[in-house]
Amino acid sequence: MSDTFPFRRILVYLDGSEASLSAAMYSVLLAKASGADLHALYVVNTKALQDLVKARIFVSSERSEYLADLNKDAGRHIRHIEKLAKLKGVGVTGQIVEGLPSAQVVKYIKDHSVDLLVLGPVNMIRSRREELTSESDRMLRTAPCPVLVSRDDEKLWQMFEE
Amino acid sequence: MNGLLEIIDKDLIINPLTSAKRDEIIAELVDLYARRKGLSPAQRDEALRAVIEREELASTAMEKGIAIPHAKLSFLKDNALVIGVSRIPVDFGGELKSRIFFLLLASADKPSEHIQILSSIAKLCSSDVFVRLLSSAKTPSDVYQLFFD
Repeated sequence: MSDTFPFRRILVYLDGSEASLSAAMYSVLLAKASGADLHALYVVNTKALQDLVKARIFVSSERSEYLADLNKDAGRHIRHIEKLAKLKGVGVTGQIVEGLPSAQVVKYIKDHSVDLLVLGPVNMIRSRREELTSESDRMLRTAPCPVLVSRDDEKLWQMFEE
Repeated sequence: MNGLLEIIDKDLIINPLTSAKRDEIIAELVDLYARRKGLSPAQRDEALRAVIEREELASTAMEKGIAIPHAKLSFLKDNALVIGVSRIPVDFGGELKSRIFFLLLASADKPSEHIQILSSIAKLCSSDVFVRLLSSAKTPSDVYQLFFD
């Protein structure tokens, strides 16, 4: 890889949303241009599932059903970035873990010496209520490395198709 | 990812609810969604049946007069939330009566977003002050505004 790039290991966080597709595309292009290693992480939010059972919003059968749904979704997103990376001739290490997304992302960054985190577009701040802070917002605030927030714009799609 | 604030829709809030029984309240909330989003009668019936069947498993009535009826629907592309506030406490099958109802109709394609939204509702409703303000809201617009303060 080029010595001019300040990062050697990129982590892209996939949250199961359409928006995180742009983060996946951006990270693949960045890995291609920089020669950095690319890692992709999907966190199955078992903390939220536990909280929902505790609050009696979910019964245990729903917890199991959603755990299976989330694992299926995780597999789909990891396979998708593997396909994107293959298209561009880039390798990617995909991993699915369970827990609280923001905590697991910080742990992964530390454990794997990641030096750039790529996130999908974050939502506008529309409320001051702390309870509504998203996991992506928490990652922006707590990541121990630089963070790049991608935008889902036409230019990105054009760049990817070039 | 869309969160709670991204899916709240001013046109999907009922305040006050006119029904006073569990299944009627669920129907009032589902019917508003069906009208606004143009569900077919069969889809409306499927949504209603799924939510009631879920409530039969165990009531979603929580502390502080909150209930969060919900169901996953195969025909939905996006998650949707309908909020209802009742002037009187209603027996929703829980230990305590309920006044504030969050009906979440979930898309089978977006499980992660669904979990996030339910989790945000639960966290928000753990605040006594927020629930008190919600209970005293007089119009749908008052309810909507509370989330964006």
